Amino acid sequence: MYVLGVETSCDETSVSVVKDGNIVLSNEVLSQIDIHQSYGGVVPEIASREHIKGITYVFDQAIKKANLSYEDIDLIAVTKGPGLIGSLLIGINAAKVISLNYHIPIIGVHHISGHIYANYIEHGMEFPLLALVVSGGHTELVLMKEHFSFEKLGETQDDAVGEAYDKVARILGLGYPGGPAVDKLANQGSDTFDFPRPMIHSDDYHFSFSGLKSHVINKHHNMLQRNEEINVKDFSASFQEAVTDVLVAKTIKAKENYQVKQVIVAGGVAANSGLRKKIKANITDIPVYFPIMDYCTDNAAMIASAGYFKYKKYGKSDDLYINGYSRLDLEREM
Amino acid sequence: MKKSLKRLVIDTATKYMYLSLVVDDKEVDSFYQIGDNDHSVTIMPSLEDLLQKHSVELKDLDEVIVGIGPGSYTGVRIGVTVGKMIAYLNNIPLYKVSSLALMASYSEHEYVLPLIDARRGNAFMAFLKQSHQNIQYIHKDVLMNINDFKEKQDKQYEVVESGKPNIEKILNSDLLEKISDIHELVPNYLQVTEAERNLHK
Repeated sequence: MYVLGVETSCDETSVSVVKDGNIVLSNEVLSQIDIHQSYGGVVPEIASREHIKGITYVFDQAIKKANLSYEDIDLIAVTKGPGLIGSLLIGINAAKVISLNYHIPIIGVHHISGHIYANYIEHGMEFPLLALVVSGGHTELVLMKEHFSFEKLGETQDDAVGEAYDKVARILGLGYPGGPAVDKLANQGSDTFDFPRPMIHSDDYHFSFSGLKSHVINKHHNMLQRNEEINVKDFSASFQEAVTDVLVAKTIKAKENYQVKQVIVAGGVAANSGLRKKIKANITDIPVYFPIMDYCTDNAAMIASAGYFKYKKYGKSDDLYINGYSRLDLEREM
Repeated sequence: MKKSLKRLVIDTATKYMYLSLVVDDKEVDSFYQIGDNDHSVTIMPSLEDLLQKHSVELKDLDEVIVGIGPGSYTGVRIGVTVGKMIAYLNNIPLYKVSSLALMASYSEHEYVLPLIDARRGNAFMAFLKQSHQNIQYIHKDVLMNINDFKEKQDKQYEVVESGKPNIEKILNSDLLEKISDIHELVPNYLQVTEAERNLHK
């Protein structure tokens, strides 16, 4: 079954063709990261303007590289949310045109289900599994008892991990996006500040990063005021250690409690080397999987894979009335 | 028998969605309806209905004409996305037209000032002269203060803020512009984003 995936929820315009959920025939990504860099973050109106510039070109590249024609496609899977609404609507409407033009069924997919299925492409899935979803917009632990079933065990009560990284990177003058820059410096420094590990001992699976972020920003501010020299490497390492300690502790707790067979990490922060190392060092009894780097950031291959399993499970598609949603609950996907 | 020329017109730059099926220079059917910020939801079902009534498939179309604004940013992008995709998928010519000119064609007056409110006393506006057969610009699409723009005009005119386009008049005019590379088409926003303005301050 050939699935055409479409993803435009943030700042990447992406179209992909995936066979049977894991054979990626093409995965075209037009990234806007260079454009948003000057603004220190994604500017929604600029993102929408970029999507419409690139949309037909990305489709054309994806179908050509897959060596197929649209008539060969069996299902169109498109991100319906959550995300930037103006951006989502471009991918959704483009997908609807293909659906009507070639009478191909269309299915709306939750962006996070896509990030989770990014792991399926390389590693497959064994249930029950635990997914740690970490990105610029999300931080949550999700339990999957079978394909396309999502039970949210806990989530951030305030900032997402990636958001905290971006803000800390900004005060350290590391630019946008902050995650990779902080990660790189963290590897060269050491945890000298011993920042707080928020909610690490709480009895639930929730997270909180806003307090830690404020603590880091205040510390930085106070040191500047006192004209103390700031070691950016140690600062980065201390922040990263605090964040990953909490993520790993909660993941281990959920893993033990739910007796899962596999742990997967999904989302942009899954690319973080500190998190990768720590989680692999601390979970050795069951497999821990990360998506390959290409599938950590937003891409349409993961959407095609998720759409394939959603369609297989429910046997039905959406219609041409499908809409985009800036907010969307993962558990409502079921 | 000579094959008929089937054209689809799309405009979603304002609160109203306009879809029109034109066969050999005659509008055989159209859809012109006010939306509730939901052009994105309704455009494809409405298009399917319109075409089905006349047993036309998207693949049967010979040309697409799309309104490229100015107007609502999110709104205009929906129509432009759909227009680009139809033209790209079926490898057919794509034409762009001003959404203000489409609006102006509704009027019967000789001089027309189409206007889309842009708040704080500003609007997207143009000034056009027309007859039964034709319509042409006197002053091209701008975003500016409403009173300043009106003061520039020395002819008696009608202000048009909505109205179903008279597409046959548009088809006879020089206001349609063929797009040489479909991938390149973007809306005519007439304004850089606020973020870009602040960056260059």
